[in-house]
Parts: sequence; C-alpha cells; structure tokens
Amino acid sequence: MPVSGARMMEWAWLIPVFSFAAAPAVVIFGRFLPGKGSWISILAIAGGFLMFWLVLGSWMGAEAVGNCFTSENTQMLTCDYERSWFNAGVVGAVGSVSLNWGILIDPLTIAMLGLVTFVALMVQVYSLAYMKGDPRFGWYFAIHSLFAASMLTLVLADNFLLLYVAWELVGICSYLLIGFWHERRSAREAAKKAFIVTRIGDVGLLIGILLIWRDVGSFSMLDAFEAARTGAMSEGVVTASAILLFLGAMGKSAQVPFHVWLPDAMEGPTPVSALIHAATMVVAGVYLVARTFPLFEAYDADPLMVVAIVGLVTALGAATVALVATDLKRILAYSTISHLGLMMLSLGAFGYTAAIFHMMAHGFSKALLFLGAGSVLHSTEFQETGEMGGLRKVMPLTAIVFSIGALSLGGIPILAGFWSKDEILIAVNDHRNVTFIVLTLFTALLSALYMARAMFLVFFGQLKDQNSHVHDAPAAMAFPMVLLGVLALGFGLISFNWPGSYGGIGTFVFFEHSEKFHFEIWLGAVSIVLAIGAFVFAHRVYVEKSISLEGVRKRNSGILKVIENKYYFDEAYQWVIDRVVFVFSRFIAFFDRAIVNDIIVNGPADVTRKFGIALRVHVTGHVYSYTLAMAAGSVGLGLFVWLRVV
Amino acid sequence: MVDLVWFQLLSAVLFVIGLYGVMARRSAVLIIMSIELMLNAVNINLIAAASHMEGIGKFSDFDGQLIAIFIITVAAAEVGLALAIILRMFRNKSTVNVDEINLMKW
Repeated sequence: MPVSGARMMEWAWLIPVFSFAAAPAVVIFGRFLPGKGSWISILAIAGGFLMFWLVLGSWMGAEAVGNCFTSENTQMLTCDYERSWFNAGVVGAVGSVSLNWGILIDPLTIAMLGLVTFVALMVQVYSLAYMKGDPRFGWYFAIHSLFAASMLTLVLADNFLLLYVAWELVGICSYLLIGFWHERRSAREAAKKAFIVTRIGDVGLLIGILLIWRDVGSFSMLDAFEAARTGAMSEGVVTASAILLFLGAMGKSAQVPFHVWLPDAMEGPTPVSALIHAATMVVAGVYLVARTFPLFEAYDADPLMVVAIVGLVTALGAATVALVATDLKRILAYSTISHLGLMMLSLGAFGYTAAIFHMMAHGFSKALLFLGAGSVLHSTEFQETGEMGGLRKVMPLTAIVFSIGALSLGGIPILAGFWSKDEILIAVNDHRNVTFIVLTLFTALLSALYMARAMFLVFFGQLKDQNSHVHDAPAAMAFPMVLLGVLALGFGLISFNWPGSYGGIGTFVFFEHSEKFHFEIWLGAVSIVLAIGAFVFAHRVYVEKSISLEGVRKRNSGILKVIENKYYFDEAYQWVIDRVVFVFSRFIAFFDRAIVNDIIVNGPADVTRKFGIALRVHVTGHVYSYTLAMAAGSVGLGLFVWLRVV
Repeated sequence: MVDLVWFQLLSAVLFVIGLYGVMARRSAVLIIMSIELMLNAVNINLIAAASHMEGIGKFSDFDGQLIAIFIITVAAAEVGLALAIILRMFRNKSTVNVDEINLMKW
C-alpha cells in the first residue's frame, strides 16, 4: 500500500462520503443510466468496504503519536481527527462553543465499519434481483446509500453533535425505507410508527447530550469520558446523562417498551429489514451504549444495572413472542429484539467485548436469515409459515443458508452465534447474580427453540402443492447469501486466542482489561445441551410430529393468549393515545379555538368592527350635512370661547 | 362717516347668505360662488375695521388691509383649484351635483 500507516485512518471520513455522494447522484442521474444508477450506489459502498480494510491495516500499523494515543478507558490505540466546523460565538470568549466534525478511530469503530459496509454491500447486491422491476428502483438504491452513509457517520463521529445528526439521519432513512411501498396504508402506518416511537427516545438522547455539554463545555466524546473519569462531572450528572443516552438507545434498539416499531417495520421490502436488523438502525443503540461506556461505568456503574434489567426483560419477552408468532418475518423481527436485549444485557454486565462480538455474529446471521426469508417470500409470495413447509426440496440453497443462520443464532457449537452467546453468558455469570444467569440461559433456550421452529416449519416437512412452482434464488440473491453464510459459519473462529500476534477478538475489541477468549466448562456445556436439546425437541414436534403440544397449549391457553397478543403492548399504546393523548389534544384544540382564536385574535377585531358599524351613521354622503356640522361646530367653538372670556 | 356697526351688519348678512348657499345649493359651482361670498364678507369686515380703528390700541390701518389682500390671493388660488376639481368631476360623472358624488359614503 503506497499510503503509509496512520495516513489512511485520517481519510476514513471518505467511507460515508462515498455513499453520501452516491445518493443524490442516483436520484438525479439515475434515470439516464443503465440499471437506473444502482451500480453507483453499489460501487460507493464497495469502496467503503475496501476503505475499511485499509483503515484496519493502518490502525494495526499505527503508533501512539500525533493524533493517536492509548485510551485510558480501553487501553487501546485510539485516533481522533478533529476538524473545526464553525464557532458559535466569539472565539475564546466565555460561553462560545467551537463545533467540530471529526472522526474517532478505535477498535469499536473499525468493527462497526466492517459490519456496516459488508452487510450493506451484500444487501444492495441482493436487492438488485429482489427489487427488479420496481417502479422506484433508483430511489430505493439512493435511500439505501443514504442509510448506509448515515450509519457510517454515526459510527465514525467523535463528538455527540455529529453523532446526533447522523442518528436522526438514520431515523429518517429508516422511515423512508419502511414506508417504501407507501401505496399500502399499513406501510405508511409502520413508517410513521417507527419514526415517532424512536423519536421519543431521541428526546432523551438530546437532553443527555446537552447535559454533558453543560458540564464539560464541549461536545467531544473524549472530553466527556475524561471528565467522567477524573470526576470533573459530578456523579448525578453522569448517571442522569448515561440513563438519558440509554433512553435514546432504547428507542433505536427496540428495547421494551419502545420495541413496538420493529415488528411493524416488516412492511418495508425484505432486504431493508435485513439491513435494519443487522447493520444499521437497531445496532445504533447498542453502539451508542458501547461508545459511551465510560459514562455508564463511572461512579459504581449504576446505569449499567438499568441497562442489564431492560436488556433482560426485552430478551426474554421478545423470545416468548417469537416462539408463538406465525409470520416468518415477524418471528425474525422478535428474534432481533430478543438478541438486541441480549446485547444490552451483556453491556449491562460489563460484557463490552461480548456485546460487540454478538452484535457482529448476530448481524451476519440475521442478515442471512432475512435474505433467506426474502428469497422465500419472493418466490412463494407468502409470509405465513403455515403456507410453507418442505421448501428445502425446491429451494435447496436458500434452505441451507437459512439453516446456517438459524443454527448460528440458535447457539449450535462452532457456528458464530454460539461463541458470542457463550461470551455473553460468561459476562452475565461473572458480574450479575444468579437470577440473571438463569433467565439468560432460559432466553438462550427459547432462542434456539424459535429458530428451530422457524427453520423446520418453513423448510422441512411436507411440500404443499401451491409451492411446487417455487424456484431457488437467482445469482444476484444467492451470492450475498452464500458469503454471509460462510461468515455465519466461521465468524466465531476470530474469537479464539490464535497463536501468533492475533489474540482473539478479546484483544481487539475490549474494555479496561485485555479479555482473552475463555470458556466456562459448565456454562458451555449447559448452553450446548440446551441448544441441541431445543433443536431435537423442535424436530420431534414440527417434523416428526411425534410430540404434540396441543395439551400444553390447552392448559396454558391464558398465558398463550397474552403472548400471542404480544403482551398487549400495542393495545396499551393505543389506549394511551386514545385516552390520554387525544383527550389532551382535544383540550388543547378547544383552548386554541375558544381562547386564543376567538378571544385574543378575533376579540379586538370584533370590537373595532362594532365601533365602526355604530359610528358610520354620521357619514351621510350629503355635503350640506357636513357643512351644517362645520358651521354648528364653529358656532359652538365661538360660543365656548366667548363664554370663557365673559 | 358711516358707523362701523353698519359695515359689520352688512358683512354678517353677506356671510350668512353665503353659508346658506353652501348648505342649500346642490351645484358645486354655486357652492364655490357661495364660498366666495363668505370670503368677501370677511374682507368687508376687515377693511371697515381697519379704517375705523386707526390709532386704537396696537393696530395700524395696514393690518386689516394686509389680511384682506392676503385673503383675496388665497381665494383666487382656491377658486382655481376648486374649478379644476369640478371640471374633473364633470368629466367623470357628467354632473356637478354634489349629492351624486357619494363614492366615499358607506
């Protein structure tokens, strides 16, 4: 590589810029180009993926000089390239703020860059075939580019302000993509829901950022971490801002109770779901918590307990819903929520490395699952698992890659998901009490069960006549699936402590102390037994049908009903909207109409008008009446003066 | 020498006739003429006072005559302006009857 070491990192800002530039180019010139300009978008993200390797290489070769230094929090080489944007106020004066846009390169950033660029590239290649013939083909790719660019900016940002801008851009792009088929009412509703629900969390994020700014006086993340570490920020402020930041993360990462938007986001095209669930949008929340981890763990790490509890509740609740859902995409959506909960739980249990590792393993597996599901939906045009079954006979490739994804997320050994889930279990076991570890293991069991259920219901059993015409995925769809399949299969290997210079993912993305890959025998054994047991059990139930669940269903019909209705979260929100929001807005509307409009605005106008009507009678239009009034007035005035004089 | 009070009586009579004309006439031209009459009634009053009150108080006989000449000047200008307005009025509405000029009335 001609460009030497640390130089390349300075140019990392080009990664999002490629895609940012591609978006308007596709919109404006796309209609004149072959393929509606989709290749511009793909080239841009491919360039980003290439840049990721260069940045990784230059980071590895860099030394702690110049812009690079060893972070106090992570003990890792961190590089910060800050560029001044503008000054709000007078330079150097009290109360003036200099706003920067800069990039921060550390292992977390690099890992995220790799995940986002790779998955986005795969999804875009896949979309070439999936979206073929859509009237808004070019627009789709433009938004895709913008989405990836926003997420990459979010990942690279070295200050909270830029992060917030990118955060909102991610939100608007998800809105546009979820509502891509806006001819359908349900898609419009889902897009609005996603945008509004995540906005609720964003308010928390903004307040958190401003709180930090008030105490630190700068938006720079490194300054904030330094202030939290040295005690320049008081405990109350750090705790409050950490929890507020987490509120934003909860919205984006679909944590209870803000998870309601994610299942509905299925209304978008399936590749969009793959992108949202694996690489952009939902992982932004997990990334935010990981990025601002120094704030969470300062002062006894109280906020982490909140993170752990929310994560656990989300993981467990969503897993149960995924177990009873019948819509294939919905199963995957709840599975994503559950795994995001696991990542949050892991962060809440100091399992920084495990969370990031799981984010990547889950990202590859879930992208694979969604692309596989997309292939199924594309071909069968059904979403209900009940309409499928036995599809492995007609679409073998899709069946294989989908199974790899399912086994990986189910936690079957040697696949990526197994290793990362194991790391999470270890972190939870080490740092949280026994209730947590038991419930986490139960979640892992449920996760294996629902993945097995989805896989067996769709691809195994009897093939239905209606699906006999089904064909396997075309090349543009198969290629990304195979690549992702290989990653889901082998990605776990990077966690090992290989001999030589590479010490496993623990030495790459880690926090505070170098965390080598380790393996608790009893935990590993329990999780393997649970995962394999779950798959065997599911096989008995759904393929061999030798175990009937009817009895269990009947006995627990009450609980089942609650779970099937997704714990009535949507109903609860609807109730709040109907009974609280609408009633309150009706009051506001009444106040606006009766007080502001009728009295304050129309009132003076009304008085003026009435006066005018009363007074206009003197304007007769006859000259002699005016003259008479003039004469009478003069005489009156004369009399007045004369009487005063006399 | 005729007593001052007769002049003042004449002046008052002319003024009231003028005022009546302004109030009672419909034709704008006649109104203008009535206004002229009122102005000249005032002039008579002023001139008579100037010739009778010479040497009384701080007034000289010039003061009254000066104001009278001033009024004649203003009246000439006013008639020019008024006749121009009446001419425009007639061009637009084909009448000089002020009762029909009531655009500004509600």
